[in-house]
Amino acid sequence: MSDPRFIRVRDVAKTYVAGATEVEAVAHVAFDVAEGQFVSILGPSGCGKSTLLMMCAGLEPASDGTIEIAGRPVVGPRREFGLIFQDATLLPWKSSLENVLFPIRMMKRDPAQYRDRAEALLRQVGLGDFLHKRPSELSGGMRQRVAICRALIHDPELLMMDEPFSALDAITRDEMNEALARIWETQRKTGLFVTHSIREAVFLADRVLVMSGRPSTIALDFQVPFARPRDPALVETPEFAKICAMLKRTIEAGYARSGRSAA
Amino acid sequence: MTDIGLTALAEDSAELRRRTRIARARKAKMLQAFKHIVLPMLTALAVLLVWEAAVDLNGIPKVILPAPSDIAERIWSIRKLLYANAISTTTEAVAGFAIATTLGIALAASLVYSSWLRAALYPNIVFFQLIPKIALAPLFIVWLGIGAESRLTFAVFISFFPVVIATITGLTNVPGDMLRLCRGLTASNWQIFWAVRFPYALPHLFSGMKIAITFAIIGVVVGEFITANKGLGYLIMFASSMAETTTILAAIAVLCAIGLTLFGFVTLAEKIVLKAYGHKAA
Repeated sequence: MSDPRFIRVRDVAKTYVAGATEVEAVAHVAFDVAEGQFVSILGPSGCGKSTLLMMCAGLEPASDGTIEIAGRPVVGPRREFGLIFQDATLLPWKSSLENVLFPIRMMKRDPAQYRDRAEALLRQVGLGDFLHKRPSELSGGMRQRVAICRALIHDPELLMMDEPFSALDAITRDEMNEALARIWETQRKTGLFVTHSIREAVFLADRVLVMSGRPSTIALDFQVPFARPRDPALVETPEFAKICAMLKRTIEAGYARSGRSAA
Repeated sequence: MTDIGLTALAEDSAELRRRTRIARARKAKMLQAFKHIVLPMLTALAVLLVWEAAVDLNGIPKVILPAPSDIAERIWSIRKLLYANAISTTTEAVAGFAIATTLGIALAASLVYSSWLRAALYPNIVFFQLIPKIALAPLFIVWLGIGAESRLTFAVFISFFPVVIATITGLTNVPGDMLRLCRGLTASNWQIFWAVRFPYALPHLFSGMKIAITFAIIGVVVGEFITANKGLGYLIMFASSMAETTTILAAIAVLCAIGLTLFGFVTLAEKIVLKAYGHKAA
């Protein structure tokens, strides 16, 4: 039923020309993602993981290789993708509800038909009392929750998240991880989640792809063995800590290989 | 004394402290209002009084410097003349401002969307800013004659550039991820412009418009100086040829009032619009 190769990334590379030299940001990455799977792409800052995500989203052209999603090559942005960025990027003059409905307006569909869904999504992330508040009246975590609802409003098949919680403080971040885990368990989209937080990557994902330093390749493809739904207490278990430690060593080894210090 | 009495006493003193704090805050607020509103008005009033006294005491002839009271009297006595010319100046300034704003936004939008057009025009626009545009005013008479067209075109010409530059800055001020989000939703450039770029540009647009309204008045008055057939600028020129210093200053006072009012309207519009769009007030 579900497509085991819903996302098919083959030999994808990204090179930038800087003066007379070429900088290889992403070097020949290949992986598949099954439909309904949540995959974290984990790596240190500047390793090209966001570039990889933008290529999958059709917002950056790949220099080499092919990306296929739902059986069709990605040649540009598609409406069946939902995007979440590091900053919430909400329109300051619109309420939470209107911000969630923004994609509907951009797609020239009737916002009235999506109003109930928008309200339901906002309630699900605990913003039921904040439907008509503007972003300036919300905390950073609340804004990012609005952004999650906005990404889900048009029921996309694939949710792509580019370090969505890295601008938040540690406590809010844990809250957001739980909120995202909960909402994802009800929506069951395919998810690509870029992060540099090991804990976050493991807690949220079915699978973690560890990227090495530049030019980045996939250093490790790791299946997360924890069942769903996941309890927030999971992060305190020894198994969780063991996996995080192993991933940390892998990242450091990847960096050592690329000739840079992990510090 | 009983415990209850003591508690009541403690509550009383807490209430007293609260009242003292409120009274102190109110006093501080009134002091601020005095400092920022009343004080500048007092300064202006003092200058007028010193002017009045200096003219009276030293017996300065009216043709050199009339006293403020003379100017006020003159404004009253020639009010019909001032009114007719003020209407002409105001109408042309507002029309020039409106045209400059519309054209400025349109040009800014085309420059933001076309990299070729931007490359071709933008450096030239910046360069053009450096030209003392007032020096070009006589050309407009050569081209358009001495009527309203000439004054209006010149007002548009000098108030147009601040709008273009400010609007371009505003339109390109949108967060990159916001544009990526729109592109991800396959929104058209037209949709992105009206739903995102333009509202984001509003604070910049208004700062450009505030400069433009001032420039539009300057443009019209300079136009009136040289077309010499209508308006407060014309009245000033005409009065100066007759050494009617009091009339010159009366016309200038009316010009100040017009400038202040028009600027006030733009600032008010800015306050209302920016508040509606949730921007922090500039």
